[in-house]
Amino acid sequence: MAGSQDMFDAIVMADERFHEEGYQEGYEEGSNLGIIEGRQHGTLHGAKIGSEIGCYQGFAFAWRCLLHSSATERDSKKMKVVESLIGMIQKFPYDDPTYDKLHEDLDRIRGKFKQLCSLLNVQPDFKISAQGSGLSF
Amino acid sequence: MSWVQAASLVQGRGEEGDVFDEEADESLLVQREWRSHMQRRVKEGYRDGIDAGKALTLQQGFNQGYKEGAEVIINYGQLRGTLSALLSWCHLHDNSSALISKINNLLDAVGQCEEYVLKHLKSITPQPHVVDLLDSFQDMDLCHVVPAEKKIDEAKDERLCENNAEVNKNCSRSLNGVDCSSLESCRTQEHAHSENPSLTWILEQTASLVKQLGVSVDVLQHLKQL
Repeated sequence: MAGSQDMFDAIVMADERFHEEGYQEGYEEGSNLGIIEGRQHGTLHGAKIGSEIGCYQGFAFAWRCLLHSSATERDSKKMKVVESLIGMIQKFPYDDPTYDKLHEDLDRIRGKFKQLCSLLNVQPDFKISAQGSGLSF
Repeated sequence: MSWVQAASLVQGRGEEGDVFDEEADESLLVQREWRSHMQRRVKEGYRDGIDAGKALTLQQGFNQGYKEGAEVIINYGQLRGTLSALLSWCHLHDNSSALISKINNLLDAVGQCEEYVLKHLKSITPQPHVVDLLDSFQDMDLCHVVPAEKKIDEAKDERLCENNAEVNKNCSRSLNGVDCSSLESCRTQEHAHSENPSLTWILEQTASLVKQLGVSVDVLQHLKQL
């Protein structure tokens, strides 16, 4: 009786063992695949944010300098908004996808940028649409 | 899954000697059934393992790629934003249309650079980050990923071979990419930015444009890290 129980256990365990060995191999392979696939998607999303934030940053820095250098443009209101936008961007952890206020902060930055543009009376075209195709997947 | 075949071979050889003539057919049948059942179990395990492994590292890979993509592309964004600021400044001050079209051309060039870099980022690991990546692979105990060629060659499972082919494709693509860009960077005498050869040219053009506009070169100060 005990013998047949052992045999039965052996069969059940073999079942488990084969599954386990396949599992281990699959697990390693899956881990590698996950990294590769995740990276591809992550790169695109990160690039999208980096591109947008970089644009605002470059725009704000350049305008700060332009406002500084031309006496006629020296305007405390414009300057204040530029400084505020730069401050917001510098505090924004653009390279961290786990940042919980990512969308909230991004919307605030976009709003501040629009405010600056209307104050400066300019309508910059960042050609985001041109690279839109490259960023979608 | 070469070990599956090996295991079943060993099993088969052992059984052959033991088999009595009158039971030969039946035990062979049982044996075959058992083997196919176990192979099925291995495959099931493999599939479950793939899913579990993927689920674990997908987010990790995403975060890694996100950081890389954001860090590299932000430089191009900054350049584009700066040029846009200059463009809007020109519009406000009624500058010559020649300068305006020059800025537009430079903006297009930056866009092209950005797309080029992004395309290569997607398929390769950028050179400066190879060491970081290797470290993180080692941390994850996945260090066979990079020197995988030999190990994978031994594997006979179709799926593995497929993956291997894909990895090789990626590798050769990345090698081509590196070759091309280093060739081009030799031409422009700029090794620091081998990821994008024409970026230097764009920066030079932008600097001369700023002078033409009569604006202080400080306007490009924040682009120095490029």
